[in-house]
Amino acid sequence: MYRLSRMRFIFPIGLLLCFFLDGSVSSVFSDFLFSYPYSTVSHLVVLWMVLGVIQEGRNERVIPFTFFAVVIGIIFDSYYAGILGLFVFLFPIIIWVTRMLTKNFAANFLNSIMIFFIDIALLELLNYVAYSIVGVISVSFSDFVLHTLAPTLALNLVYFVILYLPISAIYDKYARLRS
Amino acid sequence: MQKFFSNRRLVLICVLLILCFGLMAGSVALRNKKSTPTLVQQFGNDIVGFTNNVVSYPINGIKSGLDSVSELMNSYSENKILKKQVSGLAQVKVRDQTLADENAQLKKELKLQKSLTDYSTVTAAVISRTPSSWQSQIIISKGQTDGIRKNMPVLSQSGLIGRISEVNKTNSKVELLSDSNDSSNRFAIQIKTSSGDVVNGIVTGYKKSTGQLIMGQVTSDADIKKNDKVVTSGMGGVTPKGLYVGKVAKVGKDDYGLAKKIYITPAADYNDISVVSVAEID
Repeated sequence: MYRLSRMRFIFPIGLLLCFFLDGSVSSVFSDFLFSYPYSTVSHLVVLWMVLGVIQEGRNERVIPFTFFAVVIGIIFDSYYAGILGLFVFLFPIIIWVTRMLTKNFAANFLNSIMIFFIDIALLELLNYVAYSIVGVISVSFSDFVLHTLAPTLALNLVYFVILYLPISAIYDKYARLRS
Repeated sequence: MQKFFSNRRLVLICVLLILCFGLMAGSVALRNKKSTPTLVQQFGNDIVGFTNNVVSYPINGIKSGLDSVSELMNSYSENKILKKQVSGLAQVKVRDQTLADENAQLKKELKLQKSLTDYSTVTAAVISRTPSSWQSQIIISKGQTDGIRKNMPVLSQSGLIGRISEVNKTNSKVELLSDSNDSSNRFAIQIKTSSGDVVNGIVTGYKKSTGQLIMGQVTSDADIKKNDKVVTSGMGGVTPKGLYVGKVAKVGKDDYGLAKKIYITPAADYNDISVVSVAEID
């Protein structure tokens, strides 16, 4: 099934592109994204994967999302963070949570944006908790909510609104069997 | 026994949690201890970095195009101010050259081979930035093969911005001074007051809300004023002397009222960096 579809190439390429765009956006617009005291995180990788999982509910299970989530997690940890062992677990958790949620909701725009909202909030929260426990950061919870979570959610919801239709169209077109 | 294993999912989650935190704690410890990451990680990072160049090249091109358009807008007024400065600059440059020559000559006579102010730089382009709110880290396009080693200080055009935190073969990571990691900004610095006194100390923190560096535990009685210049002191042997850090913004008391706490406005903008140079003591 998956072997026959063109998604076999398009999904990994899109994932890597989103991965590098995250870094480039953070670098090019750092004046805007990291203006004191706010810090906004771009999560295009999560957007690409979550929209795929949501679309999957409509189509058949063709893409091994968890596998790709682990792989991109390893690359993220090693290349961007330099601290191994966080995103390699967080990305699969996000996939799992999204699957749980899509089972119970119809896959329309409003439900999708709500699911994405929960995903991003969960990702940032777990990231904050894990780094606090390991001792990489010492930031109070209120500062985290005000200066990181709020702007991050805002930016990524803007991404979602803009990119929902194009990315959904890609998945709709290519995730089916080639006829 | 059987009952315990019947709940396989719980066991799996516990194992994964332990693995997760073990890996994180391990890699943080390893990062602080070793000068380079493990070979496999280095190799992976090099491949990813190479691919990243392909993606970031057009984006950086677009950015510099937009920048030049916006610079065109205010070039007239800027030109007026700069013209005045340039005429003075030539004189300063010549004087600087003469002093440097004299300095080299005197050092030669003293048979002083290397001093703390002698350093060379390696210029590198910024490929990417970590998309994370917790790590102010940029990735630059030079690595071990160009002579970059861990803990070297990194400068932008206007001043000190951070230090090398991880070195791969062809790219490396720079922890900016604004990073929340405690060890990232411990630079030995000194303040030169207007009366000629020198106050030594280290950068002890970063105030995110105002974007200022903090130099804590200063017990000197010297009269530190606003706008006094702050440079690296060269103590510790890794950082050369005389790299510009910033200006004094405010002098306050610490929490117990015994020592001074000095707030420094950094000279470099940590959020607008496209080219950096890495300083290396000769």
